[in-house]
Amino acid sequence: MNICGYIPESINEGAGLRAVLFISGCKHACPGCFNPASWDFQAGERFTEEMAGRIIGDVKTNSLLDGITLCGGDPFFSAEECAEFLIKFKARCPDKNVWAYTGFTFEALVKRPELKQLALLCDVIVDGKFIAAEKDVSLPFRGSRNQRLVDVRESVRQGRVVEIEL
Amino acid sequence: MLQVMKRDGSLTEFDMSRIVRAVNKAFRAVKGSAEDDVSVRIGQQVTDRVAEAESLTVEYIQDCVIQALRESQYGEVADAYSQYRDARDLERIRRGELYKISSDVIGAANPDLLRENANLNGESFSGKMSRIGSEYAKWIANRFVLPSELYKAVKDGYVYVHDLDQYALGTTNCIFIPFDRLLAKGFNTGNGSVRPPQSIMTAMALVAIIFQSQQNSQFGGVSANKIDWDLAPYVGKSFRRHFRKGLLYLGETSGKAHEGSADGSLAHLLEDGELYIDNMSLKAAYPRTYAYAYEETVHETKQAAESLIHNLNTMSSRAGGQIPFTSLNYGMCTSTEGRLVTRALLDATIDGLGRGETPIFPQHIFQCKQGVNQAEGEPNYDLFLKAVECSSRRLYPNFVNVDASFNLPYYQPDDPDTIIATMGCRTRTISDRFGRNRLSGKGNLSFNTINLVRLGMESGIVFGKRTEPDLEGFFRQLDRYMNIAVEGLVHRFEIQAKQPAKASDFMMREGVWEGGDSLGPDDQVRELIKHGTLALGFIGLAECLKALTGKHHGEDEGSHRLGLEMISRMRRFCDEMSDKYNLNISLFATPAEGLSGKFTAVDQAEYGSIPGVTDKEYYTNSFHVPVYYKLSAFEKIKLEAPFHKLCNAGAISYVELDGNARMNTAAFKRIVQFALEEDIGYFSVNHPLDRCPSCHYEGIIGSACPGCGAGEQEVHFQRLRRVTGYLTGNYTERFNSAKQAEVRDRVKHL
Repeated sequence: MNICGYIPESINEGAGLRAVLFISGCKHACPGCFNPASWDFQAGERFTEEMAGRIIGDVKTNSLLDGITLCGGDPFFSAEECAEFLIKFKARCPDKNVWAYTGFTFEALVKRPELKQLALLCDVIVDGKFIAAEKDVSLPFRGSRNQRLVDVRESVRQGRVVEIEL
Repeated sequence: MLQVMKRDGSLTEFDMSRIVRAVNKAFRAVKGSAEDDVSVRIGQQVTDRVAEAESLTVEYIQDCVIQALRESQYGEVADAYSQYRDARDLERIRRGELYKISSDVIGAANPDLLRENANLNGESFSGKMSRIGSEYAKWIANRFVLPSELYKAVKDGYVYVHDLDQYALGTTNCIFIPFDRLLAKGFNTGNGSVRPPQSIMTAMALVAIIFQSQQNSQFGGVSANKIDWDLAPYVGKSFRRHFRKGLLYLGETSGKAHEGSADGSLAHLLEDGELYIDNMSLKAAYPRTYAYAYEETVHETKQAAESLIHNLNTMSSRAGGQIPFTSLNYGMCTSTEGRLVTRALLDATIDGLGRGETPIFPQHIFQCKQGVNQAEGEPNYDLFLKAVECSSRRLYPNFVNVDASFNLPYYQPDDPDTIIATMGCRTRTISDRFGRNRLSGKGNLSFNTINLVRLGMESGIVFGKRTEPDLEGFFRQLDRYMNIAVEGLVHRFEIQAKQPAKASDFMMREGVWEGGDSLGPDDQVRELIKHGTLALGFIGLAECLKALTGKHHGEDEGSHRLGLEMISRMRRFCDEMSDKYNLNISLFATPAEGLSGKFTAVDQAEYGSIPGVTDKEYYTNSFHVPVYYKLSAFEKIKLEAPFHKLCNAGAISYVELDGNARMNTAAFKRIVQFALEEDIGYFSVNHPLDRCPSCHYEGIIGSACPGCGAGEQEVHFQRLRRVTGYLTGNYTERFNSAKQAEVRDRVKHL
């Protein structure tokens, strides 16, 4: 798996201050995508063990951070590697939360076991393709009105999509 | 031998042949040829005459020549001589500094001269008028007033005297205004007396008038250190008025009021003391009247806050088009009335000016204290959250830390005048060796700033002359220039102390400066202003460390330790000088607006462009990690925090946010509270605040508006940035070139 970006602190990809990891590779090809260069699975550099360890260490020591966000690309096209990373992350940073961005809908994610595993490791998933016609710059943390901020735990508990309240 | 004093004050020997030559020249101009014998005769007459004079000047000799020519019936030649003399005088004036001072301003030859202060429209007529006066006053101060050592240190780029134009006059800098006292007793503006206000609307109108009256007594900022406490009584007065009116019109009765009342007017039966918002039995007895009065009071307070903010943005009354630097501190008053004031000020700021623009003034400062407004369940926590929201939208308020280890010892819960506040830019003036350990009624008197970068270059490894910094030499030079700078402050204090009370007019007459009202107009102000502070400032710690060791305090732990050692030493020096001179001398993390490029220009001229040291158009503010150095907000706060407690005259730290802060107030709040936990005294978050005039989108705008798609070519986006703690309108127009360069180089910490 390659990553094509890492921001140690950001306010733009989820509530609170977050470290953001851009996972290379996406097949949704939404027209008007903010970052088409990241569709290529070979973009950026290989995500090594060493790099993963360093990023987890960074997040752990930075007490300002609320958590980490997986962005892309779409991390769900690299679900297995991402899940592996998040398991390590959660073991070392039990107080930090996880957000992820995906072009799949939450309903689609939970139907496929290999994607569901990653989904359940997240606290919030920003789901759905970017639809240019639905674009709205006033929405926090997402680009178009169809996209949702899914509260993973609550959605699983209630068996339907529940959105977080900001 | 006769000595003649020339125009520049030097002496030269009297020489008759010079007179003969000059007279011959005049003869040639009038008659076409020289007349040697006449010229020599005139020269002789003048020589005889001046021989009796006690002191001889060029002017006097010329007067004698003209007189001698006239007496010898050569009137025409005398006229020619006189004309030639006038022309020469004019030529001399043109070459002189005085002429250049005004011609530069009139011809707008030097944009940086006109933009020295981002808050003043220096290109306007009135702005130029005041600039000419100011430049002339600086010239006088440099030539005739400054101690010669200080003058030399300034000229050589080691020390900067702030507000030099006010030096010779003895004007003082800034003040915290005791609004409670002024409103309670009323005041006189000089043209008429003003009675104490009877409602919050009037009280807030008078706050603007007091700011306006006071700002002409001084040159720096004017600040309200506890405006929520100051104005709470007038919210109470408004409530009483609305309640009585409501009772009259609604005709509501209760058991109590009904007794003994036959005339239908019940209002008079209620004592003033019973009519207050928190009186729940009042609410129970007159529910409709109470609801009416409460709503009217809230509404009036909000309107009053709106008009106060409008007023403070429109009174460009100071020295030619400058809007006074006003600041409001609040957030600690937990009474219902005080909370209404705070809420109204924040709401009005969030709403913005007429078309929703971000207000430039006043500067807002939220006073943060655990147990009062920092966590769920504390009485003013909701107001802190609102302050965070407001700041994420408007860049204000900033946050001042009542709990900081160096502020808390002064805090007395029963005296709101001991809650730490700032002058806006960052000035802090709470402690006083003469016992007034509180805020209002005093302020800073003046400050001088040391150029740490130049000292660093002289003793550092930067030029390859040595491999280790010469720290001994550095500290020796630092001591030397601190001494010169502080002696300059004391020298200036002596000028200020001798001023009669009438010179600062409103400030003393109305007792804005505590005790001023007990002075007669001609009494000297010394015993009062000694409660104020003199501040020693510094600039460019980062570049200084870079020049000394090769790395600044963001890059290297050892440099960070060395930086702390320097600033600790400066603080110790200030404490020692306070004892020596028996004055309040304190250490200041200088806000460097007009200064940001001046030292750099002098140092560049001498040393050229040195990477990381003099290669920018500015030096880094005080102890800040350079704006162009990439590091996280977490690290920046950690690195800068320990400097705050050393700078007892005030300091501020910022982080720069990259992104739309209003979308993520959780992050904003987290950063602010982290800074407070780290013992930072005064803190603010910078984030890009652009505004599209066509669709009113606010946030970050690149070359096109994300809201409506309008391009930079079609509409003029308003771009607000912060400078020395205050906001300024479109920064590309009002910032001086050094500050524009600094904004360009600011990296975001997130």
